[in-house]
Amino acid sequence: MTPLAIEPCRRTAPHNWPGWLSVLLVLALALLCLAMSGAAVGQTAAPAMPNLERSVKAAYLFKFLGYVDFLAPREGAESGSPLTVGVLGAEDVAAELSRITAGRTVNGRPIAVRSLREGEPVAGLQMLYAGTATDLPKVLRSAAQNGALGVADDENGLQHGAVINFRIVEDRVRFEVSLPAAERSNLKLSSRLLSVAWHVQKGN
Amino acid sequence: MTIWAPVAACLLAAGGPACAAPLQDDIAELSLEQLSDIVITSVSRQEERLGNASASIYIIGGNEIRRSGARTLPEALRLAPNLQVARVDARNYAITARGFNSLQSNKLLVLVDGRNLYTPLFSGVAWDIQDMLLEDVERIEVISGPGATIWGANAVNGVINVITRSAKDTQGGLLAGAFGKDDREGSVRYGGALPNGGHYRIYARYADADDAVRDTGSASSGYTRRQAGFRADWDRSRGGLTLSGDVYEGNLAQRGTGAAQISGANLVARFTRRLSDDSNVRLQVVLDHTERNQPNAIFERLDTVELEAQHSLRVATDSAMPHKVTWGATYRHSRDRITTGRTQVYLPNDLTMHWGGLFAQDEVALRDDLRFTAGIKVEHNHYTGAEVLPGLRLAWTPDSRQLVWGNLARTVRAPSRVDRDRYAPAQPLIIAGVPRYLSGGPAFESETARVVELGYRIQPTPRLSYSVTAFAARYGRLRTQEPNPDGPAYSGLAEYRNLAYGHTRGVEMWARWQPADGWRLDGGLVVQRVRTALRPESRDPTGGVDLIGADPSHYWQLRSSHDLPNDMQLDWTLRRVGALPRPAVPSYNELDLQWSWKATRNLELALVGQNLLHRSHPEFGAAPNRSVFERTAVLRLTYRF
Repeated sequence: MTPLAIEPCRRTAPHNWPGWLSVLLVLALALLCLAMSGAAVGQTAAPAMPNLERSVKAAYLFKFLGYVDFLAPREGAESGSPLTVGVLGAEDVAAELSRITAGRTVNGRPIAVRSLREGEPVAGLQMLYAGTATDLPKVLRSAAQNGALGVADDENGLQHGAVINFRIVEDRVRFEVSLPAAERSNLKLSSRLLSVAWHVQKGN
Repeated sequence: MTIWAPVAACLLAAGGPACAAPLQDDIAELSLEQLSDIVITSVSRQEERLGNASASIYIIGGNEIRRSGARTLPEALRLAPNLQVARVDARNYAITARGFNSLQSNKLLVLVDGRNLYTPLFSGVAWDIQDMLLEDVERIEVISGPGATIWGANAVNGVINVITRSAKDTQGGLLAGAFGKDDREGSVRYGGALPNGGHYRIYARYADADDAVRDTGSASSGYTRRQAGFRADWDRSRGGLTLSGDVYEGNLAQRGTGAAQISGANLVARFTRRLSDDSNVRLQVVLDHTERNQPNAIFERLDTVELEAQHSLRVATDSAMPHKVTWGATYRHSRDRITTGRTQVYLPNDLTMHWGGLFAQDEVALRDDLRFTAGIKVEHNHYTGAEVLPGLRLAWTPDSRQLVWGNLARTVRAPSRVDRDRYAPAQPLIIAGVPRYLSGGPAFESETARVVELGYRIQPTPRLSYSVTAFAARYGRLRTQEPNPDGPAYSGLAEYRNLAYGHTRGVEMWARWQPADGWRLDGGLVVQRVRTALRPESRDPTGGVDLIGADPSHYWQLRSSHDLPNDMQLDWTLRRVGALPRPAVPSYNELDLQWSWKATRNLELALVGQNLLHRSHPEFGAAPNRSVFERTAVLRLTYRF
């Protein structure tokens, strides 16, 4: 690498860079970035493209439903009744999940997405995704007691009692699974789910 | 190439709605494997959830470090808008928060995975021996403001906590290299699985840098550093065990003598266990050995054992006022052996030191939206005995997107060996039978600070968040040099005392805005006033030379992170640092730029340009002998296997 690659435009750079030049430079760089962003800014008519991480997580949540046996007998679990997914503290994921599950079914059952607030009861859910929660262990515990699949998005999600936890690894969204937590929630996970998991926690 | 590639490429491109609409539906059709293969844009990561931490905390994400082009820990710390980072020469830095910056800044506590980098020699951090594989850093939590209630003495102006990734997240191999005009480095790391569910990684690194340039020639400040280490993690559903360690050695160039030799090793064991849903414990043991042999100046060998135990529990969780109690104990034992050099002597040469502390903190929810925290730490040190470090915090969350918080704290900086045991020069000039030197003061006490903070954080939309903190602090018993013509035997002409005071005021603010998918802007600004004065009884002949921090009245940065099509990223950072008063350093603006490209799934190339606005600029120290930092270019290669 030769320093020639970045020869200064001026042989003698001014020692004190005037403030207005900085402002101009920022504006120029901002305009450049704006130009590179295409028409994504300022489009109030069409909603902005959802960001990829959110889409990937929502797609995962949709997929998980197909790889879990909800063993716990519950009222209205006959074929055709909806699978209900609660989403806590992540309205953007809830919106994205509603969008991609609209008109789709899992094992012949439609999917209903409920956006929850902290403290709302989690009864009647098949899956609970806790995006953010001030008391994650408590939320996941009540999910497990209700036989719902608890999914977290936290560094220590599994330690807090989640069955599935999202991790960002090498710029990709991966997930880890806790078999003891699945057992406690009375859920049976398919081997295919486990084969794709980034990490599977077995036993205590 | 798999079938999703065009899908993801289209999703990744900052394109219009034309290709977005059908493809968003397609993502639900992808298999689990395909989903786990999509590279997400780090710009869109919500690294910072609007947490409930009622402190002026900024989190530098691992991705931010990778995208900034930083190759050393101090350079990575420039990303925190609430830190003052001034480069002194090729390897030395002056780093602080909220003023009092110097080459031996002593009011900041720095931890790496819970291991304290503190040196009892001057109560600060020797930045020139800290090396790490930045690829493995998960995040760096930077808290400006007092943290003594939990962390103890020396967390006066801030706490920096570097957290490395779990071995579980660094599986497989990595080769990384950087080749620049002034510095070069290479690292290799490999991670694998252990029996019984654990994971490990091992790494080795080499880094060297040329001497920095001065207006009057070159400053002997180059270095070579070699380091290797490991980390192993065993996760259990109710806790885990982490073991990590490093060994290092290096040579630091010195003017007029041979290079200084540095070496050291450390080992950290940390055990966490959830006793129940409402209670968990954490135990940590740290062993650390470090040596520095600086010809003619100092030969120091320091051995430290540190133990820490912490228990957190929730009480009355179902009542109207649930409590979260954290309590624990810390103990540190150090043996510091210093061989006399020509410029300074430490008496006693061989000193064994102890620090022991007990702390307790209770966070109570007064209402659903109001949390009150009271904490106290009592820490004993061998110089001044017990120090009491109390703190109160109040946090109000009017809704889930906003937080208003306030904080009151008292903290201290305990004496270091420089303050008490140092005599310089070692062979003093004798004038009229009186040896002239500066000595550590046997009466030197802890410096104190009383701090009040008020903060506000809000995330009005998912794409915008900002944080504002106002702070004011009163400092007492700051260090001065006092004449001592008729003291006891072996007391010199001047000794360290505590006859100065100071007060600081300021505002820290930062914001993050994502104007488009694939483009993020981060801005930060600090405006501060640092004032110190000698007390009337002080006779400091230097006029308080130790009080002068190289503190700008303002500094700001603006950072843009842009995701381009075809797996390319463009990042630039524009920063401004105001003028430093004494020694005078002019204000400067600088621009760093990085363009990176994931050429294949495993290979990433990055081209870094640093200090692009000027041919060179100084950041610290008196002219003409201070170092200046030139425009430079670096090529970085990262290969994963």
